[in-house]
Amino acid sequence: MDLDPSDLIVGLLMAAFGITGLILASGAMDNEMYVFGLSLFGFAGLFEFGLIRRHFDRLDAVGAESRRHG
Amino acid sequence: MADLALAPELVVPIARPAPDYNEAVVKKFIIAAVFWAIVAFLVGVYLATELAWPQFNLGLSYVNFGRLRPVHTSAGIFAFGGSMLFGTSFYVVQRTCRTRLFGGEALANFVFWGYQFFIVMAALSYVMGYSKSQEYAEPQWHIDLWLTIVWVAYAVIFIGTLMKREEPHIYVANWFYLAFILTVAVLHIGNNLVVPISVFSSQGYSMASGVQNAMIQWWYGHNAVGFFLTAGFLGMMYYFIPKAANRPIYSYRLSVVHFWSLVFLYIWAGPHHLHWTALPDWTQTLGMAFSIMLWMPSWGGMINGLMTLSGAWDKLRTDPGLRFSVTAVGFYGMATFEGPVMSIRDVNALSHYTDWGIGHVHSGVLGWVAFISFGALYYLVPVLWKRGGLYSARLASWHYWIATLGIVFYITSMWVAGIMQGLMWRAYDAFGFLQYSFAESVVAVHPYYVIRLMGGLMFLIGALIMVYNLYQTVHSKSTEPRLVLPAGLAVAGG
Repeated sequence: MDLDPSDLIVGLLMAAFGITGLILASGAMDNEMYVFGLSLFGFAGLFEFGLIRRHFDRLDAVGAESRRHG
Repeated sequence: MADLALAPELVVPIARPAPDYNEAVVKKFIIAAVFWAIVAFLVGVYLATELAWPQFNLGLSYVNFGRLRPVHTSAGIFAFGGSMLFGTSFYVVQRTCRTRLFGGEALANFVFWGYQFFIVMAALSYVMGYSKSQEYAEPQWHIDLWLTIVWVAYAVIFIGTLMKREEPHIYVANWFYLAFILTVAVLHIGNNLVVPISVFSSQGYSMASGVQNAMIQWWYGHNAVGFFLTAGFLGMMYYFIPKAANRPIYSYRLSVVHFWSLVFLYIWAGPHHLHWTALPDWTQTLGMAFSIMLWMPSWGGMINGLMTLSGAWDKLRTDPGLRFSVTAVGFYGMATFEGPVMSIRDVNALSHYTDWGIGHVHSGVLGWVAFISFGALYYLVPVLWKRGGLYSARLASWHYWIATLGIVFYITSMWVAGIMQGLMWRAYDAFGFLQYSFAESVVAVHPYYVIRLMGGLMFLIGALIMVYNLYQTVHSKSTEPRLVLPAGLAVAGG
């Protein structure tokens, strides 16, 4: 199954946001930026996990469908 | 070959199969909207309690009025209202353009989760004590930047869907949604231009200062009302009232006139928030004049919404969702009459800084925004979750009456309190001294603050009834769709 271009673009963007979050947290000058940076990193990580999970769920569904039809 | 051509009256339109719409993201926004509605109303009730009895501050900085107030307004406007607008716009644009959302599932999910992340981060920053101190624009620069990214993705999906539509016409509801998306983008960027002191700091300096900053802030603030809380929800009105009433819009031409006159006039009205300030007089007068002119398109829209029920008024007895929508249009008319009146400079001298403003805002947000959203929710939930109907029309009716009574308590108490405050603050004695101290006016409004609390509590109770009703609509066996058997077939009784 081909990779959905939307998954790829959004996935790459989220990876960039996650790294940005880590950088912001590492140099944070106040609590607000520290909390925001870490949260952005966590959010990006969870979003990537969701993208990967949905991709393999779709692969499984296609596989199951083809097995059902012999 | 000419003999093969069919006469136009013999051409029968072929029913095309519905495309595979992205309903998953719509459902997510609907669930989020219901969740944030309860949060917004709950925090509002708590704040009303704090105002009536300040001991409820509990001595905790995290829950004092100054920090919780933006949590309440943001949860109501951006979280509840915004989620409703995102969800319904995605629903409406797909159906009226007969095409799936542009950009794929991942982009739509990014808009959903990215927007929820913005809401949580903004609320957290308020509670922690971080704020730009600009009304409805409190988040610091980095949170604003995040919202801009999410908003651009939202605009790409919406405009992309319009561009790949399979219907030749762009239905008027989409015009209103598009005006909301584009104008809010311009307002948000224009009002939040900040130079950060460091990329690692949440603090920054606004690009404008003094009265220019105030002018830009209220250009933003009033148009947040005009384009977020009005244009977007008018899109909702123009789709869901005709659908629920099963009637076409009363006048499509009027809806187009409504659209262009509203978007042209609204953008100038902001200076009426700055009467009697350092803003030049001519600018104040301009804002006032445009606010008064705004009355006409607003009422044109109201009449169009109400008259759509011509020949279908009986549905109000049986469809509580439609009752919410139609009452919302009534409140829209009331609030858009009251607003121009309050924008008159001499009326404003009495009303500004008093609770009359709070009453006016709540007749708009509770009566118009929340009610039109409740109407859409009662219509959408059975459709999206493919249920036979609403779990209980009676519960929805209870919701309607409790919430309506709650609004009446709220706005009448605030009118009385506001006018009383205005009169007390301007009263002076024979020697030219102020007749009342500020503290005396605070004591005088206490009973009305308690009545306001009761009104808000009733609105919250009504919303909790709705949550139960919608939950049961999705899960109860009684709302399972029934199979329609072809005529002539009978089922043996068991």
